[in-house]
Amino acid sequence: MSGNRPIDALFNRRAVIAAGGGAALFGGLIARLFQLQIMEHERFEVAAAENGVRLDLAPPQRGRILDRFGRALAAHRQAGRVSIVREQADDLTKLLSALSEQIEISPERQARLIRDARRQASFQPVTVKSELSYEDFSRLAVRAPSMPGLQVEMAATRSYPRGRDFAHVLGYVAKASETDLERLSEGANAQERAAIRRLFKHPDMRTGRSGVERFAEEWLRGEAGFRKLETNAAGRIIREFDDPTLAPRPGRDLYLTVDAELQKFAIDRFGEESGAAVVLDIETGDILAFVSTPAFDPNDFVNGISSADYAVLRDDVEYSPLYHKAYDGTYPPGSTFKMVVAAAALEAGVIDPRERVYCPGHYRFGNNTWHCWKKRGHGSVNMHSAIKGSCDVYFYEVAKRMGIEHLADYSKRMGFGQRWELGLMGGRSGVVPNDEWKRAARGEPWYEGETLNIGIGQGQVSTSPLQLAVMTARIANEGKLITPRIIGEGPRPEADIPFDEPMDPEHMQRMKAAMFGVTSEAGGTALRSGDLGLGGPRLAGKTGTSQVRRISAAERATGILKGEDIDRRLRDHALFVAYAPHDDPKYAISVIVEHGEGGSKAAAPVARDILAEALRIDSRRAPSYTQTASIGGGTTGGGAR
Amino acid sequence: MVALSSNSLDFSRKSFFTQVRSLPWGLILMICAMAMIGVAILHSATFTNPEEAGLPMRQAVRFAIAFGVLLFTALIPLRWWFWAAWPSYLATLVLLVAVEFFGFTGGGAQRWVQIGPIGVQPSEFMKVTLTLALAAYYHKRWNDYSGGFLIHLPALALIAIPAALIFRQPDFGTTLALFASGGILIFLAGLWWRVITAIAVAAVASIPAIYFFVLQDYQRERVDTYLAQLTGASVNVMDDGYQIEQAKIAIGSGGWTGKGYMEGTQSQLDYIPEQHTDFILTVLAEEFGFLVTSGVLLLWMVILGLGLVIALRAASLFARFAAAGAVATVAFYILFNVAMVLGLVPVVGVPLPLLSYGGTVMITTAACFGLVGAVHLGRKDPLNSRA
Repeated sequence: MSGNRPIDALFNRRAVIAAGGGAALFGGLIARLFQLQIMEHERFEVAAAENGVRLDLAPPQRGRILDRFGRALAAHRQAGRVSIVREQADDLTKLLSALSEQIEISPERQARLIRDARRQASFQPVTVKSELSYEDFSRLAVRAPSMPGLQVEMAATRSYPRGRDFAHVLGYVAKASETDLERLSEGANAQERAAIRRLFKHPDMRTGRSGVERFAEEWLRGEAGFRKLETNAAGRIIREFDDPTLAPRPGRDLYLTVDAELQKFAIDRFGEESGAAVVLDIETGDILAFVSTPAFDPNDFVNGISSADYAVLRDDVEYSPLYHKAYDGTYPPGSTFKMVVAAAALEAGVIDPRERVYCPGHYRFGNNTWHCWKKRGHGSVNMHSAIKGSCDVYFYEVAKRMGIEHLADYSKRMGFGQRWELGLMGGRSGVVPNDEWKRAARGEPWYEGETLNIGIGQGQVSTSPLQLAVMTARIANEGKLITPRIIGEGPRPEADIPFDEPMDPEHMQRMKAAMFGVTSEAGGTALRSGDLGLGGPRLAGKTGTSQVRRISAAERATGILKGEDIDRRLRDHALFVAYAPHDDPKYAISVIVEHGEGGSKAAAPVARDILAEALRIDSRRAPSYTQTASIGGGTTGGGAR
Repeated sequence: MVALSSNSLDFSRKSFFTQVRSLPWGLILMICAMAMIGVAILHSATFTNPEEAGLPMRQAVRFAIAFGVLLFTALIPLRWWFWAAWPSYLATLVLLVAVEFFGFTGGGAQRWVQIGPIGVQPSEFMKVTLTLALAAYYHKRWNDYSGGFLIHLPALALIAIPAALIFRQPDFGTTLALFASGGILIFLAGLWWRVITAIAVAAVASIPAIYFFVLQDYQRERVDTYLAQLTGASVNVMDDGYQIEQAKIAIGSGGWTGKGYMEGTQSQLDYIPEQHTDFILTVLAEEFGFLVTSGVLLLWMVILGLGLVIALRAASLFARFAAAGAVATVAFYILFNVAMVLGLVPVVGVPLPLLSYGGTVMITTAACFGLVGAVHLGRKDPLNSRA
C-alpha cells in the first residue's frame, strides 16, 4: 500500500468513506428486502396466491329426466365445441379466417360471430361450432395452442336419446334469450339478476323452453360453481385445481310416470296419422303414455334450430308437429261424451236406465230436426243399447230432460272444463258450456236446442284427449276421483281438485257394462276391436266422432258425407276411449286420430293395440323411484295402490 | 512518457504464466460463482416459456466470452491502459456523436451504432473509457497541482460531455451511471466538503426543474409511478405500476427461504415483465427467499470490497483511480438495480451485473474487473519517474 504522498492519504480516507457509504446503501437494500420478504410477507403471499388463480364460472350439469323405470329420456352427451374469446385473440377477423381453413364457416357467419363477440363481455366465449366431428375436434385441439383466442373443448350437451318420442312432454332446452333471462330473473334483486345473466350467458348453459324442461327448471338446474384455474399473466390456463367446495352442484334427476317402451309403441302404432293418445293407470292416475304425433326432435333445438327448419315445423298447420295434441288440443268429444250424459241423467234421476226411447233416425225439437248418425234409426233403445249403438236420438232426449246446467256440473266432476296441471307447461281446459259461459263468451243466453248437441258431444263442448282419458279412468275405477300426473319424482305441481264429490259407483258400473257392450256384444259399434289378442281379456270402450265442420242439409241430401270425396282437412276426427281388461280394469286410454273419420274404424284398433301392449309389458308395475303419496288423493283415496 | 523507468521492464520480463498465476483469483472465482448463480436463476425464469428456453445457455456462452474479456483486459499491462486512456475516451466520444447522427434505434432509444457487422452501444464503452480518462487526468493533474477546487472542473466536463450525449439518446440509466461513478472519482480526488454540500443542495433544489423540463414523458410517468407506490397510493396495476407491484409481490411472497427452485408462482407465470433481464432479482428473491438473496448481495459487497482493496494497494494514482472507478461503476449498477426492483427508486432500465440476461452489461462488468485485475498486476508500477 502506498501512502507516502498527501494525495494518497486523502484518497485512502475518501475511499474508506465511499466504501462506508456503499456498505450503508447495501445495508439499506437488505433492510428493505427484509421488510418486503419477512415483515410484509403475509400480505404479498396472499397477493401472489390470488394473482395466479382465476375462478371461472362453471355451470352445473342439468339433472336427467327418466321414465318410470329409470330409462333416460333427457341426458347428456359429450360433444366437441370450438369457440372464440375476444379478450385473448389478437385479431378476431384473422382468427376466424384461419379457423375457416379448418372447418367450414361462411363469410356471413364469420361476420355474425364477430358481431356477437363484440356485443358480449370480452372474456365471454362465443361458440363457433358445437357439434364437432371427432376428426374436426382432434385437428382443432392440436392447433388451438398456436391460435390465441381459440377455445376447443369437450362439453356436456343436453341430449334426448329417445328423440321425437317425448318431444312434447319434455319440451327442450335452448340458450337463454333476453325473454328467457327476463323470466328467469323474475323477482330477483339486481345482484341476483347479474348472477343469473352471467350464468345463462355461459356457452354450456341452457334453459328449459317448454315441457318438463321448463316447468322443472329449478329442480333440474342445480347450482353453479367455479373452476379454480391457475393462469399466467396472459390469462392462459396452466392447470386446474380440484376444489370440491367450489364444484357446481348438479341438478337433480327427475322421474316421469311414463313408460318409454309403451310410448314408443304407441307412436309407432300411429304411423303416418296425426293424433294423440293418453294411457292412464286407473288407480294412481299415472300417465303411462302421452302421445302427440307427429312430433319434432328436441335435439334439434339444443344448439339452436335454424330458422328455415323451424319454419317447416311451425308452418305445417295440417299436422302441427309443435303442438301437444293430447294436452293442448281440444276437440268436441263426440259420442265418447255419451257416458257422461248418461251418468249425469242417472244422477239427476230424469231417466230410468230401463226406460226405452224410440229412435226413428231423427229427433224433432221446436221447429228443427236433429239427426241420428244412423239414418234408418235404432228403433227402441234403453240406456245400455243406446250407448252400445251410440244412438243420438236417445241422448238428445236425456240431455233435454236434465238441462244444460246439470250436465255441465256433472261434466266438470268427470274432469272436463278444467286444466290439469301436470308440470309440462301448456295444457288447455276445453269448454263445458252452460248459460253463464255463453253469456260471458258470446253475450247471448243459452238456447235449449244447443243442449241437444252437447248431449251427443258436439257443438260448443270441447275436451282434450287427457280429459277423455281421465273420464274413462274414473268410469273404469267406478268413480274414484283420480287425477292425472306425469311427474313421478320431482317438483310435483299442486293438486287442484275443484270437484271432490265422487261419482256413484252403481252408475259407473252401468257405464262399464255399456262400454263392454260396445266392444263385445252384438250391435256394438266397436265389436271388431274388442279382442285384445291376449287370449282372454277384452277391452271395453266407446267410439266417437269429433265433427270438424257442420254437415249441411244440402250435403246430407246429395249423399256427399264421408271418405275420399272430401278434403282430408275437412274430415272428422276419429275418437275412441277404452279401458282394459274389461273384468279387472287397469289401464284407461283415449285416442284421437285426426281426420280419421270413424272412431271404430280408425281410432279403436289403435287403442286396442296400445292397451294390449301395456298389458303385455305391464307398464304400470312399480316404478323405480320411491313411491310417494299420490297428489290425487281426493276424498276417496285415489292414491291407494 | 519517455521517462518510463526500468521498473516497468521488471513486469514485462515476468513470464505469461507467472502473470496469470498472480491474478486476483479469489476475486475472479467469486465473479464466476456469481455468474453461475445468474445462469441458474435465468433457467428458472425462462424454462416455462419455450421461446426463451435457449437463454440460459446463451447467457453461459456470453459469460465464457466475458470471462475471456476479463482475463484479456487484466493481462494487458497497466501502462498500456494508461497510454490508451485518452485515445479511447476520444474515440468513444466520436462514436457517441456518430450515434446521434447515424445510430439506429433499439428498445425505443437510439443507442446503437453499426461497426462492420456488429451493432455496438458506445454508451457502454464510455463507462470504462470515462473511468480511464478521469484516472489519467487526476494522475497527471495531482502531480502538477496540489489540490484546490478548480482542478475538478475539467473532470466534471469529462463526465458531462458524454453524459449529455447519452441523455439525448435517451438513456437515463447510463447517464446516471456516468455521473455516479465519475462523481465518486471526483469525491476520491478530494473535492471539498463545502462544495459537495453545495452541490447536494443544488441537486435537491433542481429536482423539480429536471422533472418538468428535462425528463421525457415516459420518464416522467415512471417517476410518478415510483412516487405513487412509494407513498402507498394504489397504483394502476395494469399500467406502469404493474411491473413494480408484481415485483414486490414476487419478492414479498418469497419469505425467509423462498418457494423453492423453479417453484416461484409469480416468476413462472410470467407476471413480471423483464423478469429475466432487469428484474431477475425477483426470481431469486421469490424462489430462494431472504437468506439467499441477502447472501447474494453480501457476496457482491465482498467482490466490490476486494476490488477496492486492490485500488488502495496500487502505487500509481492512475491505478488507484482506475480500479476505484471500475468498482464504482459496477457498484452503481447493483445498488441502483436492486433499489429499483425493491421499489425504492424509479424504474430506469439498469440491469443487475452478472445476473441479468444481456450481453452488454456482462462485457462491461468483465472489462471493469479486468481493469481491476490489470491494476492488481501493475500495482507496483508508479507509471512515471517522478514518484
